[in-house]
Amino acid sequence: GACRVSMSMTEIRAGFTAIKANIQSRDPIRTLSILSHPHSLHKVKSSDRCCITHLLFTFYVDKVFKHCRTEDSFVNRKISSIANSFLSVRRKLGQCREQNNCVCGEESTEKFKQILANYEGLNVTSAAMKSLGELDILLDWMEKSR
Amino acid sequence: EDALLPAPQNISILSINMKHFLTWSPVIVQGATVRYSVEFQGEYEREYANGSWIPILECSLTTATVCNITEDISATVAYKLRVRAELGATRSRWGKMKGFFNRVTTSLTPPLLRVLADGHHLLVELADMGPVFQFRLLYWKKGQESRVQQKVMREVSSVVHLDTMEAGAEYCVKAQTHIEAINRSSSFSPTQCVRAQGDTSMWL
Repeated sequence: GACRVSMSMTEIRAGFTAIKANIQSRDPIRTLSILSHPHSLHKVKSSDRCCITHLLFTFYVDKVFKHCRTEDSFVNRKISSIANSFLSVRRKLGQCREQNNCVCGEESTEKFKQILANYEGLNVTSAAMKSLGELDILLDWMEKSR
Repeated sequence: EDALLPAPQNISILSINMKHFLTWSPVIVQGATVRYSVEFQGEYEREYANGSWIPILECSLTTATVCNITEDISATVAYKLRVRAELGATRSRWGKMKGFFNRVTTSLTPPLLRVLADGHHLLVELADMGPVFQFRLLYWKKGQESRVQQKVMREVSSVVHLDTMEAGAEYCVKAQTHIEAINRSSSFSPTQCVRAQGDTSMWL
């Protein structure tokens, strides 16, 4: 089902853009992708978009951000800003899923399982940094599918 | 921490148009310069990061009693703020702001608007208020208040062309801001009216 959630994509993107180079420089494994392997998010059916977006925001909030602490205070502040924005949006997505009874289709559930498998295939810090470094893949997909 | 140096008091936030400032009362020590450090904690830090606090570099060891926290309060969740005083190696306990701050409570003022008539063209100038602001403009021909037109602008360019006016007619405009991130709008600016240039053609 569709979810219309007001979120400030501008602020999230600005926060990520400010630290993208720093975060991606901490990711030595350039041949692997957490979000896009083996298939791109763009293959997700529109009817499943609300559900998988909620799953992905939960993935970032529960698993990714907490393992991204750095020695750089500026980077930590931007990660906090993104994490708190994700928390706020996830809450709205959760409410929307309940109201619209958004259920993930089989393909999308499989896609999300693949993302978790990609994530668990690396050590947690590398996996978290790589996932954070791929945030623009998620943001681009969300904006294109608006 | 040292009981000799009292914690800062009267810690509060002044938030207008999504610009947020933390302020506190100075800690007075005769003949000495007291410095302050500020930290924040979002809902994410409380629930997922063991209640950790994050320092704001620009307000570390500052002598000011105000700190611009806008850059760090960039999510619509409940934040906690704290300040401590420092004098050499002596540090006070943390002074904590009572309760939480959520930017959804920011005060919104109407946008600064200037309406111009350039010949038959109805133009407006709007002051830029930051990337999260949208502007909703309502405009109508005087006397036709039931036929109000609307224009929503997500980005502000210096001058905006609203409409082509009928010769000699008077047109009125008012504007409000809208912030999607907190889903709130300001009140409308005062209405401003201008008259289009009269018709210069003459019947001979």
